[in-house]
Amino acid sequence: MKLLKNWSMVSLLAAVAATSVYAPTATAHGEKSQAAFMRMRTIHWYDLKWSKEVVKVNDTVEISGKFHVFEGWPQTVDAPDSAFLNIGIPGPVFIRKESYIGGQLVPRSVRLEIGKTYDFRVVLKARRPGDWHVHTMMNVQGGGPIIGPGKWITIEGSMSEFKNPLTTLTGQTIDLENYNLENTYFWHAFWYVFGLAWMVYWCRRPVFLPRFLLVNAGRADELVSGTDRKVGMAFAAATMVIVVFAMSTANSKYPITIPLQAGTMRGMKPAAEEKSVVAVKVEDATYRVPGRAMRMKLTMTNNGDKAVRLGEFYTASVRFLNADAYKDTTGYPEDLLAEDGLEVSDNSPLAPGETRTVEVQASDAAWEVYRLADIIYDPDSRFAGLLFFFDADGKRTITQIDAPLIPSFM
Amino acid sequence: MSSLNSAVRSHAEAVSVSRTIDYIGLFVFFFVVCGSYHIHAMLTMGDWDFWSDWKDRRLWVTVTPIVLVTFPAAVQYFLWERFRQPWGATVCVLSLLFGEWINRYFNFWGWTYFPVNFVFPAILVPGAILLDTILLLSASYLFTAIIGAMAWGLIFYPGNWPIIAPLHVPVEYNGMLMSIADIQGYNYVRTGTPEYIRMVEKGTLRTFGKDVAPVSAFFSAFMSTLIYFMWHFVGRWFATVRFIKQS
Repeated sequence: MKLLKNWSMVSLLAAVAATSVYAPTATAHGEKSQAAFMRMRTIHWYDLKWSKEVVKVNDTVEISGKFHVFEGWPQTVDAPDSAFLNIGIPGPVFIRKESYIGGQLVPRSVRLEIGKTYDFRVVLKARRPGDWHVHTMMNVQGGGPIIGPGKWITIEGSMSEFKNPLTTLTGQTIDLENYNLENTYFWHAFWYVFGLAWMVYWCRRPVFLPRFLLVNAGRADELVSGTDRKVGMAFAAATMVIVVFAMSTANSKYPITIPLQAGTMRGMKPAAEEKSVVAVKVEDATYRVPGRAMRMKLTMTNNGDKAVRLGEFYTASVRFLNADAYKDTTGYPEDLLAEDGLEVSDNSPLAPGETRTVEVQASDAAWEVYRLADIIYDPDSRFAGLLFFFDADGKRTITQIDAPLIPSFM
Repeated sequence: MSSLNSAVRSHAEAVSVSRTIDYIGLFVFFFVVCGSYHIHAMLTMGDWDFWSDWKDRRLWVTVTPIVLVTFPAAVQYFLWERFRQPWGATVCVLSLLFGEWINRYFNFWGWTYFPVNFVFPAILVPGAILLDTILLLSASYLFTAIIGAMAWGLIFYPGNWPIIAPLHVPVEYNGMLMSIADIQGYNYVRTGTPEYIRMVEKGTLRTFGKDVAPVSAFFSAFMSTLIYFMWHFVGRWFATVRFIKQS
């Protein structure tokens, strides 16, 4: 007994220590746990902009940019025939007021075409105060959530000030935060009391033992009287009358209703993207595990009319920049940005018509932090990403790459 | 005192002990059913009952009564067969609703801030009262299975219409026609519940125009009859007194 008491006390103290001394808030959305090949070879989010980093309750934030549906979509993930532009936040701390793909409002699932690039825009309205990690996200049926870059946004104020007004086609203006709430509480409370009344009628008399003994003695019929049957009939009749009355009242109060709206939206308009003028062939690619660096040997051919330089390698939301050729000014999340993480053996301007083979190294702790190095343990160990080339005027051309990746453990 | 003597010394004391057993029994019974029926409900109807934008006129109407007639059928048998108590279905739905409201209020609203007008559970009491009163009046499991379970399935949609009708009022939302419930589902972000998971308005009931709900309700009622019949055997199994007789 003493041993039990002692261990109980130890368990209690451990539970208190575990929950009250150190109980950090869950702040991320598991994006690092998602298979690296899936993040690299499905949806590429780029040109992202978060309109604000600090907002007050009821203010809006806009996230916009582009996503490219990768040509080398892995066979192990279902094609995006039914996909939903979502947002990765911890519950409705924001509400989603609007979301668009190619200028089309997308409150429902859509069909995306592999190989196309789409403009998107999501408008969020701040609801619950706090610091929230806000991710772009594409859910793909049969593939799961494909999460994009996340950025911290602070909401200030009080949730009690939040309003979500809406005007119906019948001319009524409502606040979705509390619309229909009293009606819901009323009917639930009413029927609960009604059900309790039925039970109380029976339970005010002995419930178990005496009745069990009488049933066993073959005198079960004595336990239900004529009055009981009449009360039963009254409850049954009242139930039906109340339901009919409540339904007809609801019909007269809301004469115009529609069914829930559903169905996949097709024909999303892709963004007008210029064809890449730089052809790139990946001769080989290795990932050096101890150095957290990926090395690629690329043969690049400039088919355009202006000289270009390689400025960025993008994969799985991580951006490796060559600071000599390109600098980011968009406020992209720091943990996903390797501002000087891209080294090119010869990054002098690639002249029109010129073909050159170069060694490119993308190195940053992000390989490890974002678990991209885990690609060597994936079922489809190919890497993929986008190469951004810039001419002297800052004009950009994008080339996609997709090749096997060989790990190096030395 | 010999073990054959009564533990009580007077009729009043016996009555008092009996009532105490009643109260303890009711308390335990209520929460055991609450826990088990609630788990069963969440695993079977799940999202259909969690969100207003899943409460459609086809699958919600069909699925919910069918999967929820189970426990009432079993508990009705146990309480009627052994105690002649006709409140088996009612105690089931009251305990389920008790658990559901705790879940919706403290979890969905208190922890994750989904508005209650978006996550309320379905009303189930009218069907339960009809099941119980039909068993009381007929004293027949067969009659209760056919008529009572039929009534349970048929009354589900009209019983809930007063709370879901206001959510089916149409809205023009940035150029699209949506119901208020659709907008709730769109506005209040569910990161782990993408829109395509919604199983609403699917099926081939396209030749009844807009009058789909009654057809769904009849199908649900028919299936509820079959499920009631099956689950009353579960009640039989749990209501056995074989072990009491042996002791």
